[in-house]
Amino acid sequence: MAAYRGRRLLWQGRCWFSQTESAVPPQPADSLYPPVVASATAKSKAAKRRRLEHFHQRVHAAASVEEKLRLYGQRQRPKYMVYPQTFALNADRWYQSFTKTVFVPGLPPRAAPAAVKAPGVVAPEAAKAPEPAAAVAPEAAEAPEPGTAASAAAKTPEPAAGAAPCLDMGELCSLACDALLQESFYQNKKRPFLYRDQDHTPGPFLTQLVSTLAASLCGRNPLLAASSLDLKPEVHYYWHHGEEVVVHGHRKGRVDPVRFQIDDKPHLQIRVPEQLPEIVPLDSDLGDVPVIDHKPSKLPLFKKQYENKVFIGSKVADPCCYGHTQFHLIPDKLNRKRFIRANLEDQIEVVYRANGIASLFAWTAAQAMYQGFWNEADATRPFVSQAVVTDGKYFAFFCYQLNTLALTVETIQNNPRKNICWGTDSKPLYDVVENGSVKGFNDEVLLQLVHFLLNRPKEL
Amino acid sequence: VFQGVRQAQWLTKTKLVEGLPPSVLSIVDDPAHQLEDYEERVKRVISHARLWDTTEAIPKREHYCPVLFEDLIHLCRLMSVKYPSLTKRMLARNYKIAATWERESILLQVRGLNGILMNSVAPIPPVASKEEILATEEHVLETFYPISPTIDLQEVNVYQELNSTGFRDGYPYSHPHTLFFLESANIRPNRFRPEQLRAKMLMFAFGNALAKAKVLYGNDPKVLEQPIVVQSVGTDGQLFQFMVFQLNTTDLVSGDGIKNLVWIDSDQKLYEKAQCISEVKKRVVTKPAGIYGFQPDTFKKFLALYLHGTV
Repeated sequence: MAAYRGRRLLWQGRCWFSQTESAVPPQPADSLYPPVVASATAKSKAAKRRRLEHFHQRVHAAASVEEKLRLYGQRQRPKYMVYPQTFALNADRWYQSFTKTVFVPGLPPRAAPAAVKAPGVVAPEAAKAPEPAAAVAPEAAEAPEPGTAASAAAKTPEPAAGAAPCLDMGELCSLACDALLQESFYQNKKRPFLYRDQDHTPGPFLTQLVSTLAASLCGRNPLLAASSLDLKPEVHYYWHHGEEVVVHGHRKGRVDPVRFQIDDKPHLQIRVPEQLPEIVPLDSDLGDVPVIDHKPSKLPLFKKQYENKVFIGSKVADPCCYGHTQFHLIPDKLNRKRFIRANLEDQIEVVYRANGIASLFAWTAAQAMYQGFWNEADATRPFVSQAVVTDGKYFAFFCYQLNTLALTVETIQNNPRKNICWGTDSKPLYDVVENGSVKGFNDEVLLQLVHFLLNRPKEL
Repeated sequence: VFQGVRQAQWLTKTKLVEGLPPSVLSIVDDPAHQLEDYEERVKRVISHARLWDTTEAIPKREHYCPVLFEDLIHLCRLMSVKYPSLTKRMLARNYKIAATWERESILLQVRGLNGILMNSVAPIPPVASKEEILATEEHVLETFYPISPTIDLQEVNVYQELNSTGFRDGYPYSHPHTLFFLESANIRPNRFRPEQLRAKMLMFAFGNALAKAKVLYGNDPKVLEQPIVVQSVGTDGQLFQFMVFQLNTTDLVSGDGIKNLVWIDSDQKLYEKAQCISEVKKRVVTKPAGIYGFQPDTFKKFLALYLHGTV
């Protein structure tokens, strides 16, 4: 055991030895002797702690954010690849435990006053929002069905633009119907390629819908007017959470942090130059994070070693460095019919939730890292973003507040903060499209989408 | 296409006018039609597309050309705050056009996936006045004897003379407004050179206009009462070609009579150079990373073509 530890320490020492010399702190003027500290290269726990401290100081003292990100992800080791769109059973609970997220069914109430023409049922909403630990995440799979139906119906009369005149829902409905009809009916298209149904109709429809809605709503939301719309951007995030014992190899028996990487490709994303306001205060506790007793590889998750990337969709120099809304398209592999055929109806919602939680965690955490926070320098303000997960017909809405980035073993011990994700079940936007008309168009879903797009800081 | 625009002119019986038409130029010059601090925004858009969009250090043309286009369209769409009728536009990607016509006993057709089309509910009003249209009667199409006008065109056996706009009847956004062509291949031989790009733009604009004319006025060749106007923008990420095409007649068999008109503004650079990594000579930064030589006029013309027809 000692021999293995020694070899590992020596190797780590070799990595950091050359930089140790340059970062020796300057001597205080009144002492004749250098400060008595543990050795930096010895085979001891104190030396290991000193090297770790030195690494933390290097990252803290990095000159720019790019340098900080480069140092943060410098050492490449095998890590678990977390896929937001996954077929794994109950993946949302696993992802909650990896990211220390509390899932609250239903969407948070909006503070701005209302001016929308729809029947108002606001009382149950107000009662739902401050629900304490009763809305526990492990029951999230079963409980949301009755809960969110009520909350979604209560969501519809929710406040829209503050002082602006009434939203013209009719016009927005007609825009949405036009986009849908163009993609599915009017445009002459060939038959979809095998297993590529999502690229044929739902993908272009989502792009059209979001771009036309964003353009027509930018008068009400000045944040949208300054926004940047990305088509098929990439979002990456790398983090450590928990510890494990190395199973085999020359480092067998040593204790290593568990490394995760999310590489996400949302269909569409809106980035803004100013941050969305916080939904609840930084230290609120809205539930419990599920605890999973198994190794992450049992999910199944697989390890690979490659570049540790942290990316929100554009580089650090971009002024639009905060996220507003992401739009995800569920691939053909995970469509509803397959789950129903395999007798897994309850897993349909799990797909949407897992996608929402993982993608939004990666995006908000990457935004926080772009502002200079990391797990040793935890975020001083919450980062909020929204996401819409859809398969073309069914839409599910998610809202995420990142309160903490400190998920490593040392930093999680005294950290009471948890990240919070609000989400709804998936609802259909329309029933069917036939003969040039859309049947069963659901206004509530469109209204929810419009509210998402109109979300902005209170000052604007 | 060998002779470029000259050959396309002969094939589509068109007269060329340099520069953009006066109605578009008036939109360019009118300060009421500008976005606020649009220069800053366009520079940001170019930086985003050319510098910031990927995790790699230098994005490739296949990546930045579509991103630049999407961002410019997003900027133009934001103008719908001022002009609500701009929301009545719809972009169509991957649509197919088919148009057939006869030109001095040669049967020609334009078919297939071409670019991105922007449709609108209302047609663009005719750009040229009646006098200008009648004046084209005297214009003689230049031929390049001994080279045949159909050189470099693919000869295909067609069994169906197809004319289709690419959309079904009853489509609310039935008037083609602008066609966008993105030359985004990475390797230069795979991209069209500016002359060929202009010819391609002309042919497809003509094809769209002709298909629309046949839908509206039937298949008989005649002079159109209400000329159809289709615009076209082609780019390779840095150079922009602007074109406004007006279809005056579907009588294309003979070489005389009223001709169609096209206004072309070619080779407009949006920016000179995009430096992704700063140039360092002997440990001194000579050229920091950024966009150099930005020309705001090109974006103004782009925006003017977008707004044309609604203002």
